[in-house]
Amino acid sequence: MLQAADVSFVYGPGQAGLHGVSVDVPGGGLVGILGPNGSGKTTLLRVLGGMLPAASGRVTIDGRDLWRISRRDLARQIAVVPQETRLSFEYSVLEVVLMGRYPHLGAFELESQDDVAIAREALAATGTLALEHRLFPTLSGGEKQRVVIASALAQSAGLMLLDEPTAALDPGYQVEIASLLRRLNAERGVTMAIATHDLNLAAGLCRQLVLLREGRVIASGPTDQVLTRESVRALYDVEADVHYHEAAGHLTVVPLRRIRARD
Amino acid sequence: MSLRRRVFFTVLLFGLMAVAACVFAPMVGSAPISLRRVFDRSVPFADNADAQIFFISRLPRTLAAALVGAALAASGVVFQALLRNPLATPFTLGVSAGAALGAMLAITFPISLAFAGVSTVPIASFAGALGAVGVVYALSTVRRHGLSTNVLLLAGITLNAFFSSLILFIQYLADFSQTMRTVRWLMGDLDVGSYAPILAALPFTLLAFAVFAWLPRSLNLLTLGADAASARGVDVLRTQRLAFFSASLATGAAVSLGGPVGFIGIIVPHLVRLLVGADHRVVLPASTLFGAAFLVVCDVAARTLIAPMVLPVGILTAMIGGPFFLWLLIRRG
Amino acid sequence: MAVAPSNRHVEHRTEVVRHGGVALPGRNSTSLETAPASACRRVPVIMMLIACAAFSDGCSQPAASRATGQPRTGPPQRIVSIVPAVTEMLFAIGAGPNVVAVSSFDTWPPEVKGLTKVGALLDPDIEQVIRLRPDLVVVYGTQPETRTKLERAGIATFPYVMGGLDNLTSTIRQLGAVVGRPREAEAQAAAIQARLDAIRQRVAGRPRPRTLLVFGREPGALRAIDASGGIGFLSDIVALAGGDNVFAAEKREAVRVGIESILAAAPEVIIDLHYGRSLTPEQIDKERAAWKTLPAVPAVREGRVALLVGDEFVVPGPRLVDAAEAIADVIHPARRR
Repeated sequence: MLQAADVSFVYGPGQAGLHGVSVDVPGGGLVGILGPNGSGKTTLLRVLGGMLPAASGRVTIDGRDLWRISRRDLARQIAVVPQETRLSFEYSVLEVVLMGRYPHLGAFELESQDDVAIAREALAATGTLALEHRLFPTLSGGEKQRVVIASALAQSAGLMLLDEPTAALDPGYQVEIASLLRRLNAERGVTMAIATHDLNLAAGLCRQLVLLREGRVIASGPTDQVLTRESVRALYDVEADVHYHEAAGHLTVVPLRRIRARD
Repeated sequence: MSLRRRVFFTVLLFGLMAVAACVFAPMVGSAPISLRRVFDRSVPFADNADAQIFFISRLPRTLAAALVGAALAASGVVFQALLRNPLATPFTLGVSAGAALGAMLAITFPISLAFAGVSTVPIASFAGALGAVGVVYALSTVRRHGLSTNVLLLAGITLNAFFSSLILFIQYLADFSQTMRTVRWLMGDLDVGSYAPILAALPFTLLAFAVFAWLPRSLNLLTLGADAASARGVDVLRTQRLAFFSASLATGAAVSLGGPVGFIGIIVPHLVRLLVGADHRVVLPASTLFGAAFLVVCDVAARTLIAPMVLPVGILTAMIGGPFFLWLLIRRG
Repeated sequence: MAVAPSNRHVEHRTEVVRHGGVALPGRNSTSLETAPASACRRVPVIMMLIACAAFSDGCSQPAASRATGQPRTGPPQRIVSIVPAVTEMLFAIGAGPNVVAVSSFDTWPPEVKGLTKVGALLDPDIEQVIRLRPDLVVVYGTQPETRTKLERAGIATFPYVMGGLDNLTSTIRQLGAVVGRPREAEAQAAAIQARLDAIRQRVAGRPRPRTLLVFGREPGALRAIDASGGIGFLSDIVALAGGDNVFAAEKREAVRVGIESILAAAPEVIIDLHYGRSLTPEQIDKERAAWKTLPAVPAVREGRVALLVGDEFVVPGPRLVDAAEAIADVIHPARRR
């Protein structure tokens, strides 16, 4: 569905960019982009979402070059959930979710009953319908993140890019968001690419992984094959125990100690 | 209530308020006049002092107040959304400092830019405002990737300080009565004396308002941040440019007409948000209309409180606005 | 670029005002064209008005004071004046040759052009004043810090306090006593008083037209209008010249008025003072035309709006008599020969 081929992006001297990165997000897939802080995950996500033009290489969605598609048309196909959303004004939850309808409306068009129905359905899907009349800034971190996901859902895009969706949340909310994403992928067929540094989130949620370090892909493929002691060491310079966790039902990673960087 | 009804009723309510203020304002003033005599066609206008007070003094003042109030309140809304900062004002980015520098130069040096019935000071201040806008925009786009709101804010604040120092420098060289007149100009004054300056400011303001009509939905999304807005289909750079230039144009026209009347651009949008919520499709038209009504009423107070003298209207709005601003800060903190 | 106008020019201009009364286009404009109007660029009129307003109670008896332990021997030989009005008085009573420095605002008489400038009310250059080793410094009564510093340096000061028209002759007499020229001062004061009395007599018994005196507004527009209130030398001159100041009830020097107040006051004569810079005949026409937007005002309707150009209208020195005569000629035009 969404493909990046040999994409490069350079911020400036001394800053990590992207160097010949190729990623394939298949339709209906759940892809994790895994890497330490500063590895270029967010940059890659912005390039994939068409918010940042790649210096070289191609990014295509269903075979079409991203830069050939208007901002509005792109927003009907790709929705983005940022790590954290701060609003400078006191919008209600419903208003925030309705903002997702932007690419479906003309310049002077107001949201119809249908748009409101879609927004409320998105709220229901994320378990936040009860909050619809609350003011967004008064919500807790986990509630905010679910409302922002609802806003992305209301965009009715087939593909959702999420940047560290759980990084700012406590473990309770982390589990909640992870299961929400899994459900949206399974029940609604929403294709997802999730950038994260959280090995266990990725292990539990994603079917494919792309490991990114210093702007380069060091491994990619099905989670079971990619997530190994060796790859974790290569990615984080950490000696870790990687084993299958019966109760969780997926691989888990327990970091043991830091090892010195090879260079 | 559906959004359509909300927009309709809000515009209706605030529109009635603005119309009521504009109808009421010319009827009151320091001198008692008879409305019957004002509209008495049998007395020639040249001999009809009541009609002259009405049509030469009060009506232009009222219209100027409505135009300045509407422009400053609307620009306040747009700048707050553009900068994602509810404490931003139309003057945050240096537009008023540029206008003040222009006015100061016109007051101090014997230059004449008078054109089409508009005297030198308004034209010079408008030129100064446009100059400041150009400098701020150039600074904020020096680096790649469009318009950085942080750079915009810093450039505006720096330019404000720099222009203020230039103003002080020129004031130091100027004579005391010129300095005094500049200080008075800075207080804001709506005694425009004729319709010419209003008509001159009108096309710029209308152009800005025409752009404003396109903006509200995009402004809503802009307050989410540039990336989030972009991801929802907003052409962020274009929206930022349109917002910046239209709001600057409206501010420049308003300031050249009535001086930098303070606090309108922050009091009005906040009061309106308290009443109708945050959606810019409601806030922007409501603030425009409420801004007009608010300044018209302030001007009535300014010209009647210490009659026959006139209080500069900017002093009045600042006396209301200062405490209001503090209350906002405390409330938000 | 400021060329000092000669006395002849001033006489010439005053003639225009006297004969024309109302500065109308035509003959008067042509005459004005030849006059360099005013060469002085900086007249701190509002400054002086404020100074007067704020401190007129404080020191109403100006007199030379000096530091203790410095016995004076004879009249002062080196005088610094940072008050333009007093500079003019000093020259008028023949103490001009003793003046060694003046304020940055001084432009009259022409002799001050070559003199050292030592700042003004807000920014007097004390160091330079002391370096000039004066034995008398004329300061504003509102400059107590400046006085204290000078007296600490053993330099006598003459604090000038602004007031009404009466202040003119009384200050000249006091000044004469201080600088050792009492007879010259008395002669000057008497001559001024005689001319003022002559004005009073000429207008006595005539109807007193309601008069608006404007001493500041935005160029080319009826905006930001500063008019004379019921206090100060301008208000006194209007009264002396047989006019009834429309804002006399406002007990202050300057009132900022809107055009509504002017329409309501319905003045029969408007005197519009311009100073600080020269005006071309075109500018004078344009400034006069600004009033045409108020046709209901009797003064406008009857063509009794007079533009008077010159610093003598706002510097309360000996030339104030010229100003008073010009204003009287506007309010009560002399019959034509």
